[in-house]
Amino acid sequence: MSNAVTDESKGRVGQFVDLMVNNPYDTYRILFYVGLTSFLMITLFPFYWLLVLAVSGGGTYGMGFLPDSVNIGVFVEIFSQQPIHLYIFNSIVIAMITVVICLVIGSLAGYAFGRVDFRGKGPLMLLLLIVSYFPGIAYLIPLYEMLTGSLTVGPFMTPDLYNTPWAMAFPFTMLTLPITIFILTTFFSQIPDGLEDAARVEGTTRLGALFRVILPLSAPGVVTAAIIVFISVYREFFFSFMMSRGNPDDWAVLVYGILAFEQQSGSQHHFMAAASIVGVIPVAVLVIFAQKHIVRGLTQGGLKE
Amino acid sequence: MGHVTLTDTTKRYEEVVAVDEMNLQIEDGEFLCLVGPSGCGKSTTLEMISGLTLPTSGTVEIAGEDVTNEPPKDRNISMVFQNIALFPHMDVRDNISFGLRLRDFEDEEIERRVQQAAKTVQLEGMLDRTPSELSGGQQQRVGIARAIVREPAVFLMDEPLANLDAKLRVHMRTEIQRLQKELDITTIYVTHDQEEAMTMADRIAIINQGNLQQCAPPLECYDRPANRFVASFIGSPSMNLYDGSASGDVLDLTHFQVDHALDLDADHNDVTVGIRPEDVYLVSSEDEPATPSTAFEAVVDVLEPVGDQTYAYLTPQGAQSDSDSVMGEGGPELLVSIDPDTTIEEEATIEIVFDREKTHVFDGETGDAIAHGVIDETVAEPTAVSAENEARGD
Repeated sequence: MSNAVTDESKGRVGQFVDLMVNNPYDTYRILFYVGLTSFLMITLFPFYWLLVLAVSGGGTYGMGFLPDSVNIGVFVEIFSQQPIHLYIFNSIVIAMITVVICLVIGSLAGYAFGRVDFRGKGPLMLLLLIVSYFPGIAYLIPLYEMLTGSLTVGPFMTPDLYNTPWAMAFPFTMLTLPITIFILTTFFSQIPDGLEDAARVEGTTRLGALFRVILPLSAPGVVTAAIIVFISVYREFFFSFMMSRGNPDDWAVLVYGILAFEQQSGSQHHFMAAASIVGVIPVAVLVIFAQKHIVRGLTQGGLKE
Repeated sequence: MGHVTLTDTTKRYEEVVAVDEMNLQIEDGEFLCLVGPSGCGKSTTLEMISGLTLPTSGTVEIAGEDVTNEPPKDRNISMVFQNIALFPHMDVRDNISFGLRLRDFEDEEIERRVQQAAKTVQLEGMLDRTPSELSGGQQQRVGIARAIVREPAVFLMDEPLANLDAKLRVHMRTEIQRLQKELDITTIYVTHDQEEAMTMADRIAIINQGNLQQCAPPLECYDRPANRFVASFIGSPSMNLYDGSASGDVLDLTHFQVDHALDLDADHNDVTVGIRPEDVYLVSSEDEPATPSTAFEAVVDVLEPVGDQTYAYLTPQGAQSDSDSVMGEGGPELLVSIDPDTTIEEEATIEIVFDREKTHVFDGETGDAIAHGVIDETVAEPTAVSAENEARGD
């Protein structure tokens, strides 16, 4: 080598660099695991911290990396304190209502944007994109007025939807519809025209072709959109908080259930942590079952045939 | 019951006229081929008949009923697509029965018809497979089965064989012909392959730039092309075309002359003469035609043996000097198909004649045919001899 420096004269760092340069394959592997571990630590640590908080039972003061004591019973105890299952049920129902509405409207809009040429399509999509970036809170006052029945349109008054699932499903639909439309538009536009033509010649209307041929063939996209909507509604706090009084009977959602521990007897953080963990389970299960579709949906969405 | 009538049917896309006032009458049970180069409007015409595209103006009638604004589902048609367009999420049985199920047929009736259709296209054992498990030919057969199972009034085919390999294409071609004769359903078949059109159709409609050029039985299009476009489009290899003028009883084609006995007036000074490669003969070859034209000399440029015949690219003697720069239509090059046993070599100078019975004359400006067979039959023999002498003296 042209470099005259011998091994002995190099410092530890120099030797390490030599080792890495001479074993690039191993180096890549090491770096990969270092990266992976860091990523997992960053994403999973909050969850672990929540778990420690839930089982140690001593409140937030003096918490260590390892729990002082392990009290698994807390996961059962929370149900006797608050009807967490009812809150979760409400969340799931509202999320499902939103998913259904979003998919129905989103399919129709996606068909128009993805498969029909019409004047003003580009500007309209741009408008949709812009609106989708508005913060939800911007709509709060008019929405609240409207959904609590205080808005009059001519001789009509809007119905009072406070404490019903519709008061939440409405703003959620509004907020998640743009992403649904974007996902479905991409998928629908990839279905070959011939298939729709074939369906129409065989005897369907355009709408029939959408539901019988285009939608089934866009299954990965539909599943992806459904899950994204479901999760974003399930974890939503702001409108859920505004549109319900907070009792399970009033369609209060999971976040209200978690907050309920605070209102009763000071702060019982370990109960809140335990409730949070229980609340995550439905979403985790959903994602595990649908992950294949989601990956396919998210990666395929960007590609054209 | 299944006749189709297009009256002034026009499709305009913004500035472009895809189909311009198309008038077509397709008889019941007829097999009509729409043929033309890419982008000529043949597929658009088919789409207007199917209802997938609505015409800008004009009407479409199927079985005597005006269906111009009816959706495809109400037109009693079925269609086979170039990209086959089977529904990938359904098995073969569901694909074939798709239209029947939409029309609320009884289950037993559906099953009976599906079995019948599968038998017709020889797919009996494959009803439970998905389209992805089938080969290209089998997929297209499912497409055809799906089309015939409803027993429509009109059968539309949009280049159904274009995506198949050459051997399968020829096989499927005969299959479709057999099926069409058997079912006796009016069929409109789109293709850009003139050979396919020639072999399959009862009549062919040649379309160019949205305009119907000629609609006639295949051999009539071949023997009596209505204009220069039809002449060059039908036939492979295509017809030799030369621009020139008609003066007296001689057609002056710049580099050589051909005599004629047509009653041409002065208006036809600007003409195009067409002669098919198989209608040009070597002088003194065995199969020299009964009605030869003036003989003239030409130099052999290239020989292309294809087995049953040899294609010779010739340059007329008079055009030797500028032959390098000009090629293709309008150029002096002459394509001749000759017997493969003929012993001629490249660079050789040979004498050739046209079969005047098979020579076509078109108006130079409009391209419309003026005459087919540049000869007055009663005076055929005498002029041939004298003309030969005249040309030699040139």
